[in-house]
Formats: sequence, C-alpha cells, structure tokens
Amino acid sequence: MDFYEPEHLKDIRNQAEAFVAEHITPEMVEEELRSGDGVSRPLLQAMGAKGWVAPMWPKEEGGAGLDPFETAAMLAVIRGAGGPTVGPGTTMLSANAIRALGSPELRDRILPDVAAGNTLICLGYTEPEGGSDVFACKTRSVRDGDEWIVSGQKMFTTFAHRADYCFLLTRSDAESRGPHGLTMFLMPMGTRGIECQLLRTMGYERTNIVFYNDVRVSDELRVGDAGQGLHVMRAALEAEQNVAPASRTTQLYDAAVTWARQTPLEDRGDTMLDDPLVRNRLARLAVDAEVAELLGIRVGFFEQLGAKPGPHAALFGPEAYVAWSKEMVDVVGPGALADWTDPEAVLAGVFEYHFRCAVASTIYGGSSEVLRSLIAEELLGLPRSRPKS
Amino acid sequence: VNLALTEEQQFVKQTFAAIFGKEASPERVRAAEPLGHDSALWKRMIETGALGVGVAEDTGGGGGGMLELALIAEEAGRRVAPIPFAEPAAAVRVLAACGATDLLREALAGDRMVSLACKPMAVEHQILAHGAIADVVVALESDRIVAIHRPRQVRPISNMGGLPIARWGELGEVQVLAGGEDSGRRFAAALDEVRVLRAAALVGLASEAIEIGAAYAREREAFGIKIGTYQAVAHPLADALVAKDGAQILVWKACWALNEGLPNAPALAAMAYVFAAETAYAAAQHSLHIHGGYGFTIECDIQLYYRRAKSWVTAFADPERELDLLADRTFGPSRKILRNALTSVTHGSE
Repeated sequence: MDFYEPEHLKDIRNQAEAFVAEHITPEMVEEELRSGDGVSRPLLQAMGAKGWVAPMWPKEEGGAGLDPFETAAMLAVIRGAGGPTVGPGTTMLSANAIRALGSPELRDRILPDVAAGNTLICLGYTEPEGGSDVFACKTRSVRDGDEWIVSGQKMFTTFAHRADYCFLLTRSDAESRGPHGLTMFLMPMGTRGIECQLLRTMGYERTNIVFYNDVRVSDELRVGDAGQGLHVMRAALEAEQNVAPASRTTQLYDAAVTWARQTPLEDRGDTMLDDPLVRNRLARLAVDAEVAELLGIRVGFFEQLGAKPGPHAALFGPEAYVAWSKEMVDVVGPGALADWTDPEAVLAGVFEYHFRCAVASTIYGGSSEVLRSLIAEELLGLPRSRPKS
Repeated sequence: VNLALTEEQQFVKQTFAAIFGKEASPERVRAAEPLGHDSALWKRMIETGALGVGVAEDTGGGGGGMLELALIAEEAGRRVAPIPFAEPAAAVRVLAACGATDLLREALAGDRMVSLACKPMAVEHQILAHGAIADVVVALESDRIVAIHRPRQVRPISNMGGLPIARWGELGEVQVLAGGEDSGRRFAAALDEVRVLRAAALVGLASEAIEIGAAYAREREAFGIKIGTYQAVAHPLADALVAKDGAQILVWKACWALNEGLPNAPALAAMAYVFAAETAYAAAQHSLHIHGGYGFTIECDIQLYYRRAKSWVTAFADPERELDLLADRTFGPSRKILRNALTSVTHGSE
C-alpha cells in the first residue's frame, strides 16, 4: 500500500505548467468565459503537438503514452489555468470507441487528426424526449445505396457549432425499440441539412440543439456494424463513467482556504480562518475533498490493472461538489454572489462560478440516479429498477 | 500509488475473516451482551498474536504496521465481534515505545488486558471504553505516560452498545512508564492509531450492514415486487456502498501516513474517523429502516449493527469535536478561540 505520488508526476506537471505559461493567455480564458464553447482551436493544436489530446494512446498513434495518473495530473494543470478542455475531453470518448470498434479505414482516416488536435467530435446521444434514457433515440437513419439519410433532433450537443464531426446515435431499424436497431455514425458537421441552434446554460456554457434534416452521410462513416449502436455506445459510455475526473471539490476547497486566509474577520488581525463556524465547514469540506480525490485515484489504479472500478468517483465527486458549491456561498456571504465581470467579485467570482456550474455535474456523466442504479444492480445484486426495453 | 494488499496482508485479512466468521456469530455477539466481552474469543485473539501484530518482532510482536492492524479491525467490525481491539492494539505499541517490557509481555500473553484512557480528562472522571474488563489502562497524566491498575471495585455500566464500559472511581496502583517532552507526542500518536483502527472497524460494520440490507431487499416483496426494485430502497444503499469504499481507502491512506510518519498523518487519522463514523451510521440506519418493523425486533441482526454504529463512535469521541481537531491540525489553532479561552481563564481568576 502506498499513496506516494510517483516521481514522474512532477515531470509531467512541470511540463504542463510550462505549456500553460506558453499557450494559455488571459484573453483565451476570458474568451472561454464569454463564449462558453469549451473549445479553443489554438490550444487544441498545441495540446495535439504534445500528444496530449489523446494522452494515453501510444506515441506511434499520436498520443503521449501517459498513464491515467499522469493524464489526470496534466489535465488538472491545464483546467486549473482556465484552459477550455471540454472539446478534447469529449472528443476522446468517441475517439476511444472508434479506436476499439471502427473499421481500419475509418480509424486511419479519423484518429491521427484527432490525436494531432485537428479534429473535434461532439456527442449526439441525447434527444428532447430522452436524456438519461439514451436508448429512447428517435433520430432515424435510412440506407440509400452507399449512403444513409439521417433525420431527427438532438439536444445538449456541446460545441456542435465548432465540431468537425458528431458521434451520432440513430435508429436504423424503424420497427425496433430501446437499445436494439441502433446505428452509430460519425457525421461531418459541415454537411448540408444540419442546423445548430444556440442554447445557453446558467453555468457559463453554451450548448446546442441540433436539427438533422435529411442529411446524407457515407456508409464509410458508420462506426461498428449497422444495428450494433448499443455495443459502440457502451464502449464510449463506460469510458465516461470510469473516467477519473479531476476533483472539482478539491478546487473548491483550495479556493475556500485561500479566501478564509486572506479575508479579515474583525479588526484584531483575525481572518475567517479563525472563525469557528468557518473552520467547521472547511474541515468537513476537506474530508469530502479527500474522499473524492481518493475515489478518483481508485479509478486510476483499477484502470491500470484493466479492472472496472465502478462509478464511485463519478457519483461521489459531483454530489460533493454540488453540496459544497452551495455551502461556500453561505460561508462567504453576499460577496460570493458577485460574478467575474464585477470588481466586487470574490477571488474573480470563483464561488459564483462553482455554484452556477456544479448542478450540471450530477447530470452529464450519467445522472446520479443512473449511477446509483448501476451500483445497486451490479455491485449489490438488487433487481433492475427501470423497465426492460 | 499502489492500492493492492500484499499476499501477506491478504492472508491476514482472510485468516481473521474466517476466525470472526466462525467465532463472532450473531449468537455469540448476543450472548456477550450486555457486558460486550467474549472471553473465549479474546483468548483466541491472544493465541493468534493479533494484538501484537503492530509491535516489532524483537519485542515479541508480529512486526507489522497499521495496515495489518486495520485489516484485522475491519474484519472484527464486519462481525461486530465482542472483543476490544483498537485501544489494546495501540496500547501495546505505547508499551513497546516506552520500553515497558514486563507489562508488554503480559499484555501480549493475555495475562493482563491493557487498554487506553482516551478522553482528555483525569482518568477517574472518564467512562473508560474497556473499564469493565481491562486490568490496566495507559493514560497521559501531567505529561507523563502512566499505567493505572484496575481498582478492586468496578461496576460495569449497562449500556445500549454492548460495550464493556465502566468508571474507575478510585484508581489502583499507578506506574509511571515515561516522562518528558516525548510523552505527550507519543500518547497523541496512540490516540491517532485508535482513531484509525476504530474507523477501520466502522468500515467493516458498514460493509456488513449494507450486505444485510441488500440481502433483505433482494428477497423481500412488497406490492408484488422485490423491494430492492424500488429506488428509494436501492439508492441509499448505493450511496452507502460508495461512502464505505471511500472510508476504506481513507483508512488505508491514514495507515500508510502513520506508518511513514508523514506530517499529514494526524489530519488523515481525524478525517478517517469522522468519515467512517458518519458512513457507518448512515449505512446501518438505512439498512435497518428497509427491514420495516422486523429491523426493530431484537431477533433481527441489523439492530446489533445499528446500536454499535453509534456506540463505537460515542465511546471514543464526538465527531463534531474531531472536526475541530481536524481544523486545528490543518489550519493551526484559531486565534479567536484561544483569546476567548484566555479571557474566560482571566475572568475566572479575578
């Protein structure tokens, strides 16, 4: 048993810090706050040049051959500096599925550009009538010679307006229901008939509603076999649930301690860190942040062994993050309400930012309810609670 | 980072899982109430050398560390084994550190049961965790580590946790084991070991409480279907499982930090204690609840877990106070609290 951070993590962290100093500018961070796109093309290409878009892939494939811990450390530095990483992070979910299940031609055509930071792939699962229930997919695909014709509507397609492709789940068998009769495509986003409609969130993010109006896509861009979309999707979904997210609860804790240390309590030289109620809350937050970190480490360790750790981190981390984003607004007081554009903002509006963002984190990586059901069924042997389709 | 147990550690875990599985059955746990001590099981523990696992081999121990002790504590907790463990295991390490070789030998041989007096007050004012059964308690008094022998008259306290608690109103013989600057630090380290081992036992307790609840939810039907199908039943069990696995890895990290003597070890020990305490109670509470009225009956095993989930914590320390301690250890003392304390002392003397 050993919790020492491996020595080589320092190297990768130093490299990431040098990278941040060179490539992440205040303008880039502000642009991301204003646009909420989660994408910066120059940053993406710079990451690609280091092999950091697909950090865990071998160098021959354009990756950097990093292990899960090095990857988490590197991404934490870039995210911590305010660099937009939603684009590459999301792209890798489908890229990993393509790498595992795509045809050799498709892999050769797509993956080198993904790793190089030239290609962004957004995710087209969710529809207006199906959120957590991704298999309620109604978007139709119909074979027409060497092509397919796709029509339907997808919701919450983040950075669709900036992406090169969409990893698009469709129903190819009109008679099918639920998880059967689905086919996955890599839809070029420049194709005629695709329309992105802006959807703003309260968490400084822009997302999109995407309409597909009789859009033609080549059969060469099918991922996996026709009718086997479930299989393809499972490969990508598991990557999302098991991914060790850099704990946002720790970011919040660090901000909370910084604030408490530098904020005067009374005129006797005390700071908020001397106040019993603040200390109590920060101590509790420290415990939850530590547990969230350790569950993340647990994911990384199991992944290295090729075992499946379960979605513990994906459930506990975001739940703690939401709870503490709310609590810290109470602790900090009215100053926490001011946003980053206002000179009154506390620590550049960090607590306002976390409060706005946190609530989405218990939804998008698989909602907490879906994750709890997975744990109940797979780890506790309880009966399935959702109707079988 | 390596979260794997060594082969030897797995062997320790399996061995004690087997021992407690056989010799801490629910019948034996019930039979040991209200005193909460099974002397046959205690004798078995002494024979296995479990108590001395954390003591160096050249002083008669097993040469292991905190993790091996935590694995034993977790397995004991899983069966709510009616024997003391955290305090006696920490006490023998104090005896070894103080060079109290005679008492150490007697403790490891099972001739005398040695526990700790953990509360920050005079021994005669404490409700001692093992006061009803211990022959000696090790305590910190006036910056000295002392071994206090059992007085002639001790009245066990009838209690909800099946715990061998009692006061020692008047004290027996007091033997000074160590003095000087190191004593306070050494005793504080022992208390941190107790925190972590109690946390490990609570992880085991939580683990089995979840399994008891899940087993019931898999079989019991209501409104025509298994109750585990209902998310209001299943989801809190899933939360409990995640928290339990989190508490376990936190305990392991604290063990590692104590073994390595790292500066953040005391903070991690307090964290492990607080988190395991809350996790064990939540797990036992939900598990009992989903049994409906049955969970409330004395025949149902889950009530054994529910009562101990609270009692094992309260016998040592209020988790809110442990959070204060964690804050002190993480941020340093609060100037405001110190000043207020000083003011009340000054006013008191006027």
